[in-house]
Amino acid sequence: MSALVQPRGLITARPGFGSILHAEWVKLRTVRSTWWTLFALLVVGAGLTALICALNAEWLASPEADESPGSFITFGMMLAPAAAVVLGVLAVTSEYASGMIRSSFAAVPSRTRVFAAKTVLLAVVLFVVGTATALLGYVGGNAFLDAEGIGLALEGDVLRSMFGSGLYLAGLGVAAVAVGFLVRHTAGAVTILLTVLFVLPTMVMLVPGETGQWINKLLPSNTGGPVAAPVMFNPNLLDPWVGFAVFLVEVAVVAALAGVTIRRRNA
Amino acid sequence: MIQARHLTKRYGTTTAVDALYFTVEPGRVTGFLGPNGAGKSTTMRMILGLDAPTSGSVTINGHAYGTAGAPLREIGALLDAHAVHPGRSARDHLRWLAVSNRIPLRRVDEVIGLVGLEKVAARRVGAFSLGMGQRLGIAAALLGDPGTVVLDEPVNGLDPEGIRWVRQLARRLADEGRTVFVSSHLMSEMALMADHLIVIGRGKILADTSMTDFMTHHAASRVRLRSPQTAEVAALLTGRGFAVDQSAGELHVRDADLAAVGELVCSHGLLLHELTLEQSSLEDAFMTLTADAVEYHATEGVAA
Repeated sequence: MSALVQPRGLITARPGFGSILHAEWVKLRTVRSTWWTLFALLVVGAGLTALICALNAEWLASPEADESPGSFITFGMMLAPAAAVVLGVLAVTSEYASGMIRSSFAAVPSRTRVFAAKTVLLAVVLFVVGTATALLGYVGGNAFLDAEGIGLALEGDVLRSMFGSGLYLAGLGVAAVAVGFLVRHTAGAVTILLTVLFVLPTMVMLVPGETGQWINKLLPSNTGGPVAAPVMFNPNLLDPWVGFAVFLVEVAVVAALAGVTIRRRNA
Repeated sequence: MIQARHLTKRYGTTTAVDALYFTVEPGRVTGFLGPNGAGKSTTMRMILGLDAPTSGSVTINGHAYGTAGAPLREIGALLDAHAVHPGRSARDHLRWLAVSNRIPLRRVDEVIGLVGLEKVAARRVGAFSLGMGQRLGIAAALLGDPGTVVLDEPVNGLDPEGIRWVRQLARRLADEGRTVFVSSHLMSEMALMADHLIVIGRGKILADTSMTDFMTHHAASRVRLRSPQTAEVAALLTGRGFAVDQSAGELHVRDADLAAVGELVCSHGLLLHELTLEQSSLEDAFMTLTADAVEYHATEGVAA
């Protein structure tokens, strides 16, 4: 075999995880849907909080108020999960829809690493954006509360709910990536996740007794959600950090399922 | 170098690829030819580790895909021109590929220039024509300057100028000592591009031969002649052991030498009005070879 015919590729080592993560970042930031989704997250997460606080500040400051201002200061973050989930799903299913997943697996033959890179990236992006959005909502909403003399200090449970929002959205992003890999269709994956997060909680209320209560406690929105709110809406739920630990286990189960599945499947 | 050993892929009860043994050698263009559904794309996906073989194996430079070094630097592939996110620009598509395999970013602009996409590199791929998509796919395949290049139906959707360009590119890559494996369902295209030919039908190898050998063995020839003394000429030729068919006042002598037939007829004082050598095209040869292996037949002359 002549020198010319030597396999050129063997000169370079296998690219490390950092390169794969960087490649995923290039992919994520070079499609418009990412920016639209993050924009929607910001508008809903921070904008809605500010709006709700503006509308309710006067009433909250009045004697007939039966709610605490803390219930309002992360209000928008109750809907932000929808955007987080769409972002996570699209990062995966857009590749299946276009057939690009074959380019991805050809460039990075270890599917586990592709999955891991998307997971880490979405978790980091959503933690940062989620926390920033919560803070922005706090700044915007608290201005109205302050004006009525019922402003909240950025400490304790309020502070926890800020980065708690980031943590919750990061966890949802990971779950969304996993469901994306499992389902491989945008509409299907988004529907499943939105159903679990927004529809099931109301349906479970129809299940009577202790069973119903436990199912309710274990729904991901009820295990992961409380860490993102300064005040508990529902006294029957697990404590924020206990709930969040359970939430992480739930996310890990879905991720493990996806991790096993993508290794077995044809691309 | 690509080597397949007993390479088999079954989907349920369908056997898409059936125990293939072949070697794609460096330094030449190997054509991978077969009708639609013959198993070409499945084989190429297995080469790239996208589909796992049911049994057997396929290796590149002696190891399974992606088990040594940066894969894109070892083998570049065009599998599907549309394996690209429609909302991403051509340059960004090449950029993430480069980053994932630690290929220097200047190489991105090099390959964009190489395939002639400079003017549209910043445009979103969704707006690309089939031909532009094909060029982008080829750019992606060449990104890592790989020693092995696999192109699945590269001329699909290209205009004549583009087809010529792909042909010359494949030739140049092979001349540089690379392994070039090109699939097509068009024999005419392969005839112009490939040095070596692997013909596949219904998942089985029908021929694995040099282009020249394929032509001599599979492209049949016959001598057509017209004579006012058809009966006498036919009797003479049949008497000398030639296989003669008669139709509409013409005689067709199968696999015969033109000069020999002409001289024989002349030496017996018989008249000739026409004497022609007819060589069936490679297309015909390919059709004959794969006739039993074609998945979907069009019924010819339905109206008749």
